[in-house]
This record gives sequence, C-alpha cells and structure tokens, in this order.
Amino acid sequence: MDYSAIFTALLPDLFVVVALFAALGVDYTKLRSASLADRACAASRICGVGLVGALVALAFQLTGSLAVDGHALEVTTHGQLVLNAGTLALKALLFLLGLLVLPLAARTISTPQVSEYFALLLLATLGMGFMVTSRNLLGAFVALELVSLSLYALTALNSAQKGSAKSAEAALKYFTYGGVASAFLLFGISYLFGALGQLDITQATLAEAPRLVVVAYLFILVGLGFKLALAPFHLWAPDVYQAAPTPAAAWIASGSKIAGVALLLALLGPVSLPSAHSAIVPLLLLMAVASMAVGNLGALRQSNVKRLLAYSAIANAGYILVAVVAFTDDGRAAALFYAIVYAVATLGAFAVVSVWNDRLGREALIDDFRGAWKASPGLSLALLVFVLSLAGIPPLAGFVGKFYLFFAAIHAAPQMEYWSDGLYWLVAVALVFSVVALYYYLKILKAVFVREETGEMDNTPVGLPASVAILVLALLTVALGVWPEPVVEYIRLYLF
Amino acid sequence: MIALLTVIFSFVGALVCGLMPARWHRAIRWVALSTAGLGFAAAFCCALRYTGPGMEDIISRTWIPSMGVGFITGFDGISLPLLLVTGLVAVAGVLFTWNLDHRADQFYAFYFALIGGVYGVFLSMDLFLLFVFYEIAIVPKYFLIAIWGGAKREYAAMKLVMYSFGGSALVLIGMLALFFASGLNTFDLRALMEVDFSSGLQAVVFPVMFVGFAILAGMWPFHTWAPQGHSAAPTAASMLLAGVVMKLGAYGCLRVAVGLMPEGAMVWAPWVAVFAVINIIYGALAALRQEDFKYVIGYSSVSHMGFVLLGIGTLHLTGMTGAVLQMFSHGVIGALLFAMVGTVIYTRTKTRMLDELHRLMERMPGIAWVFIVVALASMGLPGFSGFVYELYVILGAWAALPTWIVIGAGLGVFATFGYTLAKIHEAFFRERSTGDDASDNNNGESDADYPPMTLPEKAGVALLLGASLVIGLCPWLLTNHIAGSLQLLLNRFN
Repeated sequence: MDYSAIFTALLPDLFVVVALFAALGVDYTKLRSASLADRACAASRICGVGLVGALVALAFQLTGSLAVDGHALEVTTHGQLVLNAGTLALKALLFLLGLLVLPLAARTISTPQVSEYFALLLLATLGMGFMVTSRNLLGAFVALELVSLSLYALTALNSAQKGSAKSAEAALKYFTYGGVASAFLLFGISYLFGALGQLDITQATLAEAPRLVVVAYLFILVGLGFKLALAPFHLWAPDVYQAAPTPAAAWIASGSKIAGVALLLALLGPVSLPSAHSAIVPLLLLMAVASMAVGNLGALRQSNVKRLLAYSAIANAGYILVAVVAFTDDGRAAALFYAIVYAVATLGAFAVVSVWNDRLGREALIDDFRGAWKASPGLSLALLVFVLSLAGIPPLAGFVGKFYLFFAAIHAAPQMEYWSDGLYWLVAVALVFSVVALYYYLKILKAVFVREETGEMDNTPVGLPASVAILVLALLTVALGVWPEPVVEYIRLYLF
Repeated sequence: MIALLTVIFSFVGALVCGLMPARWHRAIRWVALSTAGLGFAAAFCCALRYTGPGMEDIISRTWIPSMGVGFITGFDGISLPLLLVTGLVAVAGVLFTWNLDHRADQFYAFYFALIGGVYGVFLSMDLFLLFVFYEIAIVPKYFLIAIWGGAKREYAAMKLVMYSFGGSALVLIGMLALFFASGLNTFDLRALMEVDFSSGLQAVVFPVMFVGFAILAGMWPFHTWAPQGHSAAPTAASMLLAGVVMKLGAYGCLRVAVGLMPEGAMVWAPWVAVFAVINIIYGALAALRQEDFKYVIGYSSVSHMGFVLLGIGTLHLTGMTGAVLQMFSHGVIGALLFAMVGTVIYTRTKTRMLDELHRLMERMPGIAWVFIVVALASMGLPGFSGFVYELYVILGAWAALPTWIVIGAGLGVFATFGYTLAKIHEAFFRERSTGDDASDNNNGESDADYPPMTLPEKAGVALLLGASLVIGLCPWLLTNHIAGSLQLLLNRFN
C-alpha cells in the first residue's frame, strides 16, 4: 500500500481534522477564561481556516495538480475511497456549505461547550465528505455513523433560550430512533453483502433480485429513510429541527440531505436494472407519496418556522424520490441536483431564522416575522429568495430543480396508454402537493411583506460573516435557477 | 431584439424602483412612467416593423440543453396585439395610481416584475420559457393584492395564486407529455408545431393543457378567483389582472393548446364553445346581481373572456381573429373600466357600493359621461373595438358552430346590454331613496360637486379610449396581422 498516495488523497480531510483538534486545543488551554463570544469567534475562525485549506486541497485534486489522477482514482481497494471529478466536486460543495454554516454558528452561541460544538460541526462535515466519496458498503456505513453521531450530539447542545430540556429530549429521541435505524441499515447491508459477495458497489450489478436482495433493500430503505426523514420514518424530524440549535438544524437539513441522497443513489446502484428493482419500486413509491403528503399537509398547521421547515424537509425528500424511482441516469442526476438546490435554499432559510431567533431570544413563530420588510429589508429579500425557491417559483433554483425531477421521472417511461403507465400519476401527485406547499410558503412571506406592524424585538445587526454567508446562498439560489446548465451537465458528465 | 426590450425594460424598471428609497415616491412614479412608456414604445416599434404573417424578430440561444430548453423569443400577429395592450395598460396603470405614496418602491417593483413576466409569455417561442414567464407573473400578483388591496385582500390574493398555480401544474404535465411524445428533445414551439402527435395523445392532453391555461382566463367554473381578485386588488393591479393577466390564459389556450394539438382541439372545440357560452351568460347575469361596482366589472370581465373562449372554440379564422381582437379590446376597455371605478369614482365618492352612489350625473357630469362612453364601448358600441370583435366572433360562430350555441351567445349579448344599461342607471341616474333626517343632513353635506378629473386620469382615459377608438375605426390595423398569423396556425387543421 502506497502511503503517500493515501496522504495526498486524504489531504483535505487532514486539514479538517487538524483544524478541529486545533479548535479544541486552543479553547481548552488559552481561552479557558475568555468570554463565550471570544471563544466562539476563535473556534469558528480556526475551523474556517481548516475548511478553506481543505477546499484548496480539493481544488488542487480536482484540477489534477496533486498526484490524484483526474478521472477515477481508487486509493484503497474495494471502493473505499472513490475520488473522481464527480465525488470530489460533491465533497467540495459540502465543505463549502459547511464553511457557510460556521459564521451562523458563531453568532448564535447556544451552549457553553463552544469548541465542542464547532468540532462536532466539522466532524459531521468530514463524515459527509466520506459519505459521498465511499462506494464501499462498510466504508459508507461508517461515514454515515460519523455524521449521525455528530448530529445527535449537536442536537443536544441547545442550552440557551430555555430550551435545554427540550433539546436534550429531542437529542435522545433522535439518538434512539437513529440507533435503531442504523441497526436496520447495517442489517440490510449485511444481507446485500451476502447477495453481492463483495463490499465494493462500484462494479456490482444484479441481473435480478432474489428474495434476499429484496429483504436487504427493505432494511436499507428503512434505515436510510430515517436518515433522510422520509415518511413513515420522519417522526423525529419536527422535534429535532425545532429543538436543535438553529445552525445545527440547518446543517441536518442541508448537508446531511445531500450526502444522504448521494448515498441512497450509490446503494441503489446494484439494482439499476429494471428486472432487479421491480420489487423495490413499490416501497419507494409508497415512501415518496407518504412523504409528500405528510410533509406538505403537516406543514400547513405549523406556526413555528423551524418546525414548518422540518415538514418541508420531509416533503422535499419525497419529491427527490420521484426522480429516484425512475432508475435512470437522468433521474439520479435530477435527484442529486434537487438535493443540492434544496440544501442551499433551506440552509439560507435557516440562516435567516437563526438571526431572528437570536433577536427574539426564543424560537421564532411565523407571526414574529411580521413587518420584517421594514425592520430588515435585506434579510426579508433573502428570505423571499429562499422561500420562493423552496416553493419552486422561477427563475429560482428550486423551480429548475423540481422541473428536472419531473422531467426525469417522465423521461423514464414517456409512453402512456393507461393512467398508471410511467410516472405521470406520481408527477401529478407531486404537482398537487406543490400547490399545497405554496400556501404555507406564502404564509411566511405574507408575514414578512404584507403585515404593516412590526413585532417587538431588538434589531441587532447580522454581522459581516453571516451576511456574507446569506448573500452567497441567495446568489447561489438565483444563479442555479437562471443558469443551471453547468451544474446539471457536470453531474451528468462525472457522476452518473 | 426590440421585442425583447419590453421584457428587459420592465425587469430593469422593477429593480430600479425597488432600490429607490420609499420616500422618493414622486421620483419613483416618474421612473415607473418612463419604464412603462419605454416598454410600450418598444412594443409599438415592433408593431411598426412587423410585416407578417410569420414569426419575426427571433432570438434563439441555447439555455439548458440537458433538458432541451432554449431561450427563444419572437412575435407574430397573434402576440403583437397583446404586446401592445400590455404596454398601454402598463402606462395607464401608472397614470391611474399617480398619487400612490404607500410603499411605492415595492409597489412598482412588483408591478413591473408582473409586467415583465406578461411580456415574456407573449414573446416566448419556447414552451419552457413561456412557462417560466407564466409562473414569474404569479407571485407579484399576490403581493400587489395582499399589500395594497382593499377588503378581503389576503383571502382574494391567496385564492388567485392557488388557482393560477394549480392551472400551471396542469400545464406542466401536458408540457412534459408533449415534449416526450414529440421525441425531438426540444421545447421549441416552432418545432413542436410541426409534429403530428397521435390523436389519442392529443385527445387526452388537450383538455389538460386547455383547462390549465383557461383557469387563468376565467373559464367557468374556475372563474371565481377573478371577480374576488379583481375587486380586492388596487386599481393598477386590477387593470393588469383584467387587462392582460387573463389574456395570458387565453393566449396559452390559443398558442399552446390549440396551436400544438389541432386534432385534440377539434375533438374538444364544441365543449370549449359550450363552456364559453356559459361564461358569457353566467358572467353577465352575475354582473346584473352585484351591488359592488367593482364586482360588476369583475363579472363583466368573466363574461367578456367568454367571447374570447368562444372565438377560440370556433376554430374558424374569423372567430379566432375576433378572439384575439377581443383580447386587445377587453384589455383596453376592461382596464379602463376598473380604473374608472377603482380610482376615478372611488377616490371621489369613497364608496364602491352602487346603492350608496347618489346623483352622480349632476355631481360629476364629466366623469359620468366618460364612464358611460366607456361602458357602451365595452358593450359593443359601433366605432369602438368592442363592436368589431363581437361581429367577428359571432360571424365565426355562425360559420363553425351549431345554431343553438350562436343563439346562446346572442342571448349573452343581450344580457350584456342589460347589465350595462342597468348598472349605468343605478350608478349615475338613480336618486338614493333615503328618508330619515340623519342621512338627509349627511346628504346635504356631501351633495357638493366632485372635483373634475386630474391630468394623469385624463391622460390615462385618452390613451385607452383612444386605442379602442382607433382599432374600432380601423380594425384592419390589427386584424390583417392577426388573421395572417392565425391562418398559418389553422393550416394544420385539415
């Protein structure tokens, strides 16, 4: 085994690991008696430097300047690390989004465990990076567990805002359910390993699916369904989103969604042939319809914005499955593209909500946003962009993303002789629910723009780093909507 | 490129207005007026340069090739009248909201975002692009009504948006079905128009797309958003809604549903005509029953859109020419009616309820006469555009549809006479019968004459009424182009 190759391949991750230990170390030694704000500032800066370093290293890897061969490099055997232009770009995207979460976390200090908080954020990011680069059953599982465990712990770290009991309760709930889900997933993986005879899923393709494989996927989908908050395994999501520190909830909703979708697509790789996945499709269809229904109908009744976004996350996971069940390259690309687009918009929305929570000193209700256009026009405009993107209004990214999902779903079987042919009916269901969704998204915007009177709260400024993060996310949302072609083409070219 | 300038001016105008501080509302209205004026000027240049009958001023760029999407714009004789009416109504809308000072920056930002979307729909020669502009036009409507509207504005705005979005969901499904059935991997309307889709597919997809678009055109029984939305909206927005946004739906029906699926259209045309006649009669009768002046105009819009649908349902050159002409005519006259009721009369009397209006003929004679002329023009007085289109539509219906449908439409015309005259009487000539002293005192106090029209109001009336008069006297200015382009579309119907 060539250790220098492994070193070059893992250089970005090394930056992250060093940064997180540095953040912990500095916090434990020099800043022990400093104020919370100073410690948060220092920790977020160290973590930020680490992520920037990682991004630079990734850029070098992507351009092929480092020793990694541009196209497909397997550093270790059995697909444990598959570094090619596609996976590396995805990892870079996750690190970039992680970098944007840091300023939000730094301005919302929800816990005395400042450096641990940032270290866990980085650990989750690190795990997501491995999730998208690993094509090995065990490697991917370990990466997923790294992400999950970090996120469980992060959920518990909300001791500010009189929410510590709730936060701990939500974390425990998340951990218990998550642990069971992981067990299901691992069990499914073990069966799949039995059927495939290998852990490497890059090459494995099944011609047909014996019972064993169907059972394996049943368990895998239960496990991953939990991680992606797909109904009927979504019950944890509203509580966790509401009780977790807002930046952590944002990271659960965005980063782990992208990584989870990428993992789902990779795990479904062995059954890409129609003869093999015909038995699994009904399950996916069920989860898709249930998620869209539960998410969208549940969101209608919410008054807490974070809870509403949790239901919207469930609904959006359902939309993603619409393209996944197509089992075509187009469908995979569409699912991933939508996951990215959704993650960017929802991260932005959470960012704005996080500012509001700080100003209010409690969890914001929709009503707390009333008159926001007067008090903070910039944030209101950003929220307009994010929410309309989630609602799927052009020219924002959410629209193109949703269109691509439906496009790919119908593309898989465009012939229609009978109403249940192809995925027309599923697309119709998704469209009906996106009309429903517009209602609750507009409810937020109504509070923001229509109401004249303003809620009572202090208008602490957002601060430069967080403003930049929100601005970048808003620009990304617009840019991906107006000119999606480069990203779509990149995904089609290098990933699927 | 000139045609696309309409869209560009509007979106830039929206941006500029949005970025100006709200307290500069006097400057903002001039910016708004020049933006709308520039848009109209660009549309007018298109009209001057257009030779017809084919597509002109085509701009074609690739946009999202992975999904077969191109950025293709151009216009022909069908879009031309609609571009013109959008320009006219946009200018007049600014004139009739001249004194707006409440959040004027945001008002005009949403206003021009809506107008840019509308222009974009009329210019798109790519189905995807058309859909994008169609949806861009939805959200500004919500805010225009919900923020600046009148009573029940939030409910009306939400209802309108839900209906529009639901309609566009139907359109989206139809769009994807056509895209994949064509096998061309393109949303280019010119290419799709050459495709002969199988009759089975057309018979299924046509009603889906037609209804999807027709919801926005106010087709019965999906019309209920229209009177409520129009009545709750601020004047400029209700002018736009009645004048051009409803035309988006009708234009989509014509250009996309009928244009791409001739066989489907032939199968379903009788039903379209039946629903159109229901629209005409139902709208007229409902207008007769309304006490709120704005609702009268709202239902009259529904009735008038029935004539557009009837014209489309004839699938006959004359009838369809009438339909497009009616889109122009009602765009101008309908918008003017809303302006008269929502701004000119309302700002003076402070009420829209017909039974609260009192001897307006004596107290605002000038305005009353203008309103009567406009209402008669809307009814189909010869000399105005309303007469010409009615003639075309009815003639087309005689030629192509069963007699009983024509008789139905004829009854609709009579009902139109009925409500127009009845409501003119109620509003301007009826003495309010109040006996008790309190209201007598009240009357004595408010019996003074109302101020005459202001200069912007006069300009707006002159612009819209003049346009109707010009087309009423010289319909060939538009009908030649309309008929030429429609003939190209109808060539496939054999």
